[in-house]
Amino acid sequence: MNENSWDENRAMDLLNQFEAILESDPLIDEVGFIHPSQFVTLSNECGESGDSSEDGAFGPKNTKFWNRDHKLGISTEVLLPLCKAAKSAFMDALKQYKNLCSFSDNNHEDENIMFGSLSCLSFESEVMKHGRAVLLLSCDFGTAWNSRKLVVSKKQQLSMLMDELLLSALVLSYSPKSEQAWSHRRWVIKMIAGKHSNLQDIMAKESELVEKIAERSKMNYRAWNHRCWLVSYMTREQMLHELKKSRDWAGLHVADNSCFHYRRRLILGISENSCCKQEGENSSYDVENYQIVKEELDLNEVLIKRYIGREALWLHRRFLSLCMIRHLTTMHDISCHPEQKTSMDNEINIFLDNESCLLNYCSTIQDTEFEDFKAQAMYSAVYFLWLITQIPQFREIDLQVKLRTENLKTILHEACPERSFLWGFPDLNGSF
Amino acid sequence: MGELAVYKHVHYILSVEKRKDSFESVVMDHLRMNGAYWGLTTLDLLGKLGTVNADEVISWIMKCQHESGGFAGNIGHDPHILYTLSAVQVLALFNKLDVLDTDKVAAYIIGLQNEDGSFSGDMWGEVDTRNLDGGFGCTPGGESHAGQIFCCVGALAIAGSLHHIDKDLLGWWLCERQVKSGGLNGRPEKLPDVCYSWWVLSSLILIDRVHWIDKEKLVKFILDCQDVENGGISDRPNDAVDVFHTYFGVAGLSLLEYPGLKAIDPAYALPVNVINRIFFSR
Repeated sequence: MNENSWDENRAMDLLNQFEAILESDPLIDEVGFIHPSQFVTLSNECGESGDSSEDGAFGPKNTKFWNRDHKLGISTEVLLPLCKAAKSAFMDALKQYKNLCSFSDNNHEDENIMFGSLSCLSFESEVMKHGRAVLLLSCDFGTAWNSRKLVVSKKQQLSMLMDELLLSALVLSYSPKSEQAWSHRRWVIKMIAGKHSNLQDIMAKESELVEKIAERSKMNYRAWNHRCWLVSYMTREQMLHELKKSRDWAGLHVADNSCFHYRRRLILGISENSCCKQEGENSSYDVENYQIVKEELDLNEVLIKRYIGREALWLHRRFLSLCMIRHLTTMHDISCHPEQKTSMDNEINIFLDNESCLLNYCSTIQDTEFEDFKAQAMYSAVYFLWLITQIPQFREIDLQVKLRTENLKTILHEACPERSFLWGFPDLNGSF
Repeated sequence: MGELAVYKHVHYILSVEKRKDSFESVVMDHLRMNGAYWGLTTLDLLGKLGTVNADEVISWIMKCQHESGGFAGNIGHDPHILYTLSAVQVLALFNKLDVLDTDKVAAYIIGLQNEDGSFSGDMWGEVDTRNLDGGFGCTPGGESHAGQIFCCVGALAIAGSLHHIDKDLLGWWLCERQVKSGGLNGRPEKLPDVCYSWWVLSSLILIDRVHWIDKEKLVKFILDCQDVENGGISDRPNDAVDVFHTYFGVAGLSLLEYPGLKAIDPAYALPVNVINRIFFSR
């Protein structure tokens, strides 16, 4: 049957079937669009024959919807009429609901309130029912998400808020980049944070959800952005815990820049959460912060040497090095004694010395069979160049380190001649 | 190097407008206002805005205006700052800004500004902010992303505040978006995509660092993303085309001064003559 011959009644029929399935199985955790020919395969896989058992009308004979084990399949054949019917029903219900809401807002007579609010309730449930159907087909339809916020914010019930988390998680299961879904989750969490105390629990679950989605959907900006947003709700302990917990995952996903950005966010959060405490605690936080950066630098170096030519790792190192230099500088800020300053310079020299060793290690292009050695040389050279421009201390350092970096220019020209304009940075001329 | 298939692209854009009854277009109809902006600006850059019935478009746009003064993505939908921007931009293309009650639209936008100076997209409040790598993310603490960078740099440019940016640091991060094929990606380790030819490129132009990328290679990359048979431009060579990437490809080429295209303003993302028309009419 081709799309044009779906008349309104048949389409409404479809919508009713669809919504009935959603109502009968509130634990659906996966939705997919299936080609009609696959329905037969699916039924066979489940070992069904002839008549269905519990599913009734949605068993093997149904070629429009498939529902088993909390999975829902929709035939691609019916997508267009179903979507149009859902949108149309939703928009109608929304219009009526909004009219009634403004009517009852503006009238205070008792009878009006009674009548108005009963109708309001029924249109409210229509809005939610049709809205859910629409969003499962067209997940970025902002007006539908907004209508749910409107209804839920009037009711102020925790159970409704939790249902919104379920719906958005379902949407994200097949559309992990849906910004509307992520944004809706943040709105719900803010509502929950306002009045319910199980926030820590929710935070932990959100973080896990993102990690699960990030596993299937690499470098998903929106998922990781969501996880970064959670950090502002975390205590220092939680941040430390998150950093430790996600360490192994990071080591297995070294090209995922979003993952490393998340770690940077945590490290920043941890260091920002170190002030405004008593005197005694201050210095122990300083030590802990230093150790965190040191450990991350060590891990980063191991990964750089193991996974050759990964941009995300080198970019991560830029941040870490800046942090390290800042730590070394501020840790010695406490007094201005010349010995302290010398000690600081020594530590910075040691650090920079280590970095130039890393540069030398990475800049040998062993072979050109694959791009990775050349990329490694380029990234290490550009990293070091970047370090020089960002760190004022470079002007005063050891002659030895300076001598090592003479061949930096050579490395740059060999590995990435197109970037050699970077050498013209004003700061560099001052350094040498 | 290939050539820009102007007539094919014009034909493609006009045909998309008519193809309204497929599942793909129904699920996108909430952002039809954006689609109008992408399609019509591309036509104007190609010198073919006249192929469209302006009155029809304008009448449809006005039906999308909400009582709050903001514009929705389509008739009956909720308003949002993004669709309001597209609506105003399209009216500017047709030199019909006078149909607007400008105070009303301005009041809608002003109403969305928060205490910290940021703007929410709509009444439900999501905000899009600077990172240590010099870039900008969606929210304070978000990962640097070329699209977000463009929005921030463009906004600062319009507000006359580019001096707040560390141009060397940002320029560095941006020029590293160019990969071997000549195309640009949006953040580290990602594949190049034609739309970044706009966001990265216009940002670089606004901070005077466009000479840090290889422009010729980028032109070649964009031209390779065309579907020269059916018209339209895709995100990268041999992928499916869409209006969104067609617009960014043509806009990118305009910034790169490809011959035969109208000049586009990197901050306002509208043809330069349209911007001049607005400013000189005051």
